[in-house]
Amino acid sequence: MTKKLTRRDFLKIATGATVASGLAPVARRIALEPFVQPPEEALPGQATWFASTCRQCPAGCGIVVRTINGRAKKLEGNPLHPLNRGKLCARGQSGLQVLYNPDRLKNAVRQSGGRGSRQFEPLYWPQALDLLEEKITTLASPERLAFLGGLMPDHLYQIASRLLESLGASPPVIFDLHSALEGRAAASRLSELFFGEPQLPVYDLARADVVLSFGANLFETWMSPVAQNVAFGDMRSSASGRGLFVQFEPRLSTTAASADEWVPVRPGAEGLVALAIGRIIIEERLGHVGSHRDHAVMYQDVDVREMSAASQVPVETLRRLAVAFANADHAVSIPGGYLAGQRNGLASMLAVQALNLVVAQVGRVGGVFLSDPGPTASLQNKPAVHNFEEVLGLIERMQAGEVDLLFVYGANPVFELPAASGFAEAITRVPYVISFSPFVDETAVRSDLILPDHVYLESWGYQVPSPGADRPVVSSQQPVVRPLYDTRSTADVLLGLAARLEGPSQALPWADEAAYLEETVSELNGSSLGAYNARTPSGFWALWRQYGGWWSEKEIRREPELTDIRSKPLPVSEPRFDGDPQSYPFILYPYPSVALSDGRGANQPWLQETPDPMSTVQWGAWVEVNPETAQALGLNDNDVVRVESQHGVLEAPVVVYPGIRPDVVAIPVGQGHLDYGRFAQAASGSNPLALLAPLTDADTGGLAWGATRVRLAPAGRKQVLARLESLDGEGRESLD
Amino acid sequence: MNRWITILILLIVAAALAGILITRMQVWAAPPQPIAFSHLTHVQAGVQCLFCHSSPLRADIASLPSVQKCMGCHAMVATDKPEVQVLAGYWERKEPIPWNRVNYQPEFVYFSHRAHLASGLNCEICHGDVGSMTVAQPVVKMDMGWCLDCHLKQPPEKTARLSDCLTCHK
Repeated sequence: MTKKLTRRDFLKIATGATVASGLAPVARRIALEPFVQPPEEALPGQATWFASTCRQCPAGCGIVVRTINGRAKKLEGNPLHPLNRGKLCARGQSGLQVLYNPDRLKNAVRQSGGRGSRQFEPLYWPQALDLLEEKITTLASPERLAFLGGLMPDHLYQIASRLLESLGASPPVIFDLHSALEGRAAASRLSELFFGEPQLPVYDLARADVVLSFGANLFETWMSPVAQNVAFGDMRSSASGRGLFVQFEPRLSTTAASADEWVPVRPGAEGLVALAIGRIIIEERLGHVGSHRDHAVMYQDVDVREMSAASQVPVETLRRLAVAFANADHAVSIPGGYLAGQRNGLASMLAVQALNLVVAQVGRVGGVFLSDPGPTASLQNKPAVHNFEEVLGLIERMQAGEVDLLFVYGANPVFELPAASGFAEAITRVPYVISFSPFVDETAVRSDLILPDHVYLESWGYQVPSPGADRPVVSSQQPVVRPLYDTRSTADVLLGLAARLEGPSQALPWADEAAYLEETVSELNGSSLGAYNARTPSGFWALWRQYGGWWSEKEIRREPELTDIRSKPLPVSEPRFDGDPQSYPFILYPYPSVALSDGRGANQPWLQETPDPMSTVQWGAWVEVNPETAQALGLNDNDVVRVESQHGVLEAPVVVYPGIRPDVVAIPVGQGHLDYGRFAQAASGSNPLALLAPLTDADTGGLAWGATRVRLAPAGRKQVLARLESLDGEGRESLD
Repeated sequence: MNRWITILILLIVAAALAGILITRMQVWAAPPQPIAFSHLTHVQAGVQCLFCHSSPLRADIASLPSVQKCMGCHAMVATDKPEVQVLAGYWERKEPIPWNRVNYQPEFVYFSHRAHLASGLNCEICHGDVGSMTVAQPVVKMDMGWCLDCHLKQPPEKTARLSDCLTCHK
């Protein structure tokens, strides 16, 4: 349709354009809003730095936050903090986008159209507390109340535990996917078996000469990645040389890419490799430890050739690594999260930890130490992650209609648990669900009431980091800005609730969480270890916040005491998988995304924008397939593939990746959100948890997240992934 | 046809000129403010610049007074004036006053009041005789030419640093 432009129209348009271009600069007005009441310590326009604790993952790094005019502007690592020593990872840096996230709930809400309706009706806090009180007092029995927690500050865990105890309910169940992927519960069980206490080990990377890492993604998400990165830097720049770092993992992760050698072991057979290395050291009397007689019993059932065949690692490689490991002055072997994600998890981890025994590296420089449990008795009471079996127990109770009221804090079980575990269905059987999430995530959508907590930059708290540093540490957390919205600290909500109830008001007499914290923290004042002391409790409280925590002035490493683990043969356990190898030929490796971790970072655009270090994909999820496999299936980069297990199906584009075994396919965890805000929902991708079999390692009860077999089929279409590096092969870098 | 093209070109030129003119006009136009605050009245009452704009000796910015500071006097002084009552309204609602910026530096410029005051400049040198204005208005177009005009007139040992790009565009 063409229309001839008349002279009159032409003049109209031209005049309009003239006026509009003239008006443009006038429309630019910048508002300056001074404080109503200025904070006393703030000089306008001058930065104030507050020390606090990062809560983007369970590591507990110290941060300092630059604030100007009451607004947080930049996060950095706290240079005084013994754990991260001034460094901070990308996820930590991105914390500002949790604070300023446009999808945060701005007040307490009730779903007016029923659960899942996404129709939120604002609720006044006093009303919300009335509702809470009513729900608790009308419970038929306190046992019908359940609390499911994830990552939470230590003080909130203590307050919640006390509240539940005084009500007569069972203690909180703590589970989140991040902890499951790093095998936290299994690592704790391993420590109990080896050292007789549940504290997590601290591996002294910095002073080690040879490091064998079995499925531990030390520099991505596992345990304390910033501290481990710093230590790795020290190891590489040590006076005695660069050292040797070997990574055993079916996939070339970012950590494996930093290693000197990557050994693509058959999935689940890492423990067998460790057994073989141990056996070789004993048999051939390698190293400088002297007699190996004490350790012989452990390896009596091990045959090196069988282990080599089962793990598909040649005997020569095993021998070479055994010699290097045993001959090193300081060697350490690390059982990682991927091991814990198998059905023979504990057996593998035992085998790996035993290597440290064989070369006498327990409690020695460059070897294994134990985390400090916390400097005082009350600080030692910290949330211990439960295993998957206990979560299945809760799901069973929910399904059987034995739970009338469910609290969810800091976890997103609908997204984070394998779909086949049935949580999404079980939650519908619970008459009333209350979420404390600051965001409307998949679980919050299925609740009746959302009582949003402050985000961590607005909150109080503390954390005894586990694994710890080279000395006793407590990280303190304080609000660096005034809460932006009408949210309320969950600890205060629980204390407010307790005050209305007869029993709990005795157990929780504190007016608010700050009072509770001040009391708990003041026990540290006067300690002979501390880097500082004060004459008054309030003086100590001020220093506690200024330093960003409390720690010992000197290095104090805890040497573990061995149990009688040496007197028994180590179990030899072959991996077992869900699905038969004929119809499901590939083993699925759902690995934690270095940016999004278990998906909790998916609502932060900086993290979505961060390219995956290996595939350089941004804003999406993909399936990594070995070139051989891809060729056999007729797959190319960006071809959408259908991944099917016995429990679910998903479709995602392929990344042809030479750094993966041909019998393994890998999918990063973290994408595929159906709720959790605009950025999480905008990214393409599916959640691999949909495929997982809800299996456990029988020894630990931990989720065997790496034990599912899948099959692949081309979906017959393409979906081009956004990648920082092109694959066009025309002068630019590509992966092949 | 040629006539149309000529007209088009003329109109584009006119639009550009009008745009430039209106942009320049903004320099002399006082932006509307939520409260018709008079600098003149306050200066006549003997209030110094630094009493309200308290930061420039210590910080990069001059700062605007907090509502609390305004109310420090106006809880008692001139409470019958309608504009003071508007101010009291903000205070009661605990709302910040959304002032419109009068003097403007773009985001890619690092400007520090402290450095300028430390080298002996007065407020009036850049901001004009604000004390005789009712509503504050800009007196100079604070662009790079204007900055350099002064920076290049400094003693020779300073001009190299003062005309370095990275001094202001960090």
